[in-house]
Amino acid sequence: MNRITDHPILGPLEEAEMVDIIVDGQVMQARKGEMIAAALMANGKNTFRKTVKREEPRGIYCGIGRCTDCVMTVNGIPNVRTCVTEVEEGMVIQTQIGSGEWQ
Amino acid sequence: MSDENENRDMLICRCEEVTLGEILDAIDEGFVTVKDVKRATRAGMGLCQGRSCSRTIARIISERTGKSLEEVLPKSYRYPVRPEKMGAALSREGEDESNN
Amino acid sequence: MKRLKRDIVVIGSGPAGLCAAIEAARSGAAVLLVDENAKIGGQLFKQIHKFFGSADHRAGVRGIDIGEQLLRQAEELAVEVWLNCEACGIFDEKTVWMVRDKEHSVAVEAQRIIIATGAVENSINFPGWTLPGVMGAGAAQTMINIHRVLPGHRVLMVGSGNVGVIVSYQLLQAGATVAAIVEAAPNLGGYGVHTAKVRRAGVPFYTSHTVKEARGNGHVERAVLVKLDSQWNQVPGSEFEVEVDTICIATGLTPAVELAFGSGCRPFNSPPLGGLVPVHDRMMKSSIDSIYIAGDVSGVEEASTAMEEGRIAGLSAAHSLGTITDQMFAERLEQLQHNVDALRSGMFGQKRREAKDAIVRSYGVER
Repeated sequence: MNRITDHPILGPLEEAEMVDIIVDGQVMQARKGEMIAAALMANGKNTFRKTVKREEPRGIYCGIGRCTDCVMTVNGIPNVRTCVTEVEEGMVIQTQIGSGEWQ
Repeated sequence: MSDENENRDMLICRCEEVTLGEILDAIDEGFVTVKDVKRATRAGMGLCQGRSCSRTIARIISERTGKSLEEVLPKSYRYPVRPEKMGAALSREGEDESNN
Repeated sequence: MKRLKRDIVVIGSGPAGLCAAIEAARSGAAVLLVDENAKIGGQLFKQIHKFFGSADHRAGVRGIDIGEQLLRQAEELAVEVWLNCEACGIFDEKTVWMVRDKEHSVAVEAQRIIIATGAVENSINFPGWTLPGVMGAGAAQTMINIHRVLPGHRVLMVGSGNVGVIVSYQLLQAGATVAAIVEAAPNLGGYGVHTAKVRRAGVPFYTSHTVKEARGNGHVERAVLVKLDSQWNQVPGSEFEVEVDTICIATGLTPAVELAFGSGCRPFNSPPLGGLVPVHDRMMKSSIDSIYIAGDVSGVEEASTAMEEGRIAGLSAAHSLGTITDQMFAERLEQLQHNVDALRSGMFGQKRREAKDAIVRSYGVER
């Protein structure tokens, strides 16, 4: 886990309600209300998609919804910006291959 | 900027995966504004709409042609300026009295 | 479609937009503040360091605490806030087209619009810069300070300006190791106070160096650094590797001008403030009478100046609608302009002040 549980300025990480998300078929725990990208990185997943042409891995880049590099297929909808989209209980998240497919 | 010849294969536009070499070739063919390069190579035409690469492309054009950044950067933008689904653009929240 | 109407619509709820909304509401205008994010505050709440400036600017107070105070003020003044609301365009200098919750289009007719859309981080390119693990310094800062997630454990920071050194220090606070800070220029770029803190923590600085390449199998595993000569050319043979899993880019910001220029605001090139910005006067009015701007979109500075500019924009926009007397306006404006001038003093501030003056002069000349 890559969670910052203690912090000299921000203090200890507050308890949060946890939700289950399904990432490429695997169940992961996320803090309710956090962004998908944060939940994935907390769980050690840094590759969010593979590009169309070169099939290269990509992860977060701008982290504030501008660059669209962190897009994934979420609940069957491709190109969802994971850095600005909150997790929800039971959310199905898939590493997006190329431009993705509507499901 | 890294060495041009060595790095022709390096991506400049992350979304459309356009390389430095493709952009340099376009400039040499006479595409000398960010908009022209976009038309020629698709750089800046992807999901983020050039938000990450326009400035870089402007700098590359400027370095190669001696034109000022002001000359090569776009001065007008097409709406929507944020990536939206077509459905959202067409679906109107017209009868939302609560916000009046 | 029914058209909604508001006195003032503020686009962007970061330091500038939030302060603009508060000041306009305090001046008696009905304000709608919109932001594309799920939370209010823009990038303010990830600023966990203490701000500079005089006591008037709450120097020594952390960005997050200023943010909390501003939120309370906005609430007390009953500022209407729409989150998850993306402003997609401005038509006829008055109508803001927005998409709410990614689902519905709304058009709001505003008598005045304040654009406070902020800035975007610049990128630098090197082979491997698209590998997972290479990210904007702002992205890393959001991850550690907002989401409380470490993006990596060994970080290379590219750029020694304020963002580079502040985020480096915050990465250390979050428990990461900062392997090095590289700076292409021969001199360090950040404020001495921030730089010294990182140096004391033992982080090595490499001036006249840049990243030649990021390497790794599917993720950053190491960076190749190279020395630059006085002509900014890479010095062959000077390469060396640094083992890192994350490379943060802190090479400046560019104003997010799409909305402003899309609506017809006249551009002005200001390299010291990040490039093309909408030309504006001292009251933060753009070349279009109904559109005001504030914060990084009007020239990249700091959160403290963005807040003062926001207040000026909010005040001016409200005054132009006749919600306050000329005398009240003049007194408050003088105070706010005094504040913003004070923030633009000193070695770093003076340059920004000159650059701002050039923009204002251009407004007067060509209007």
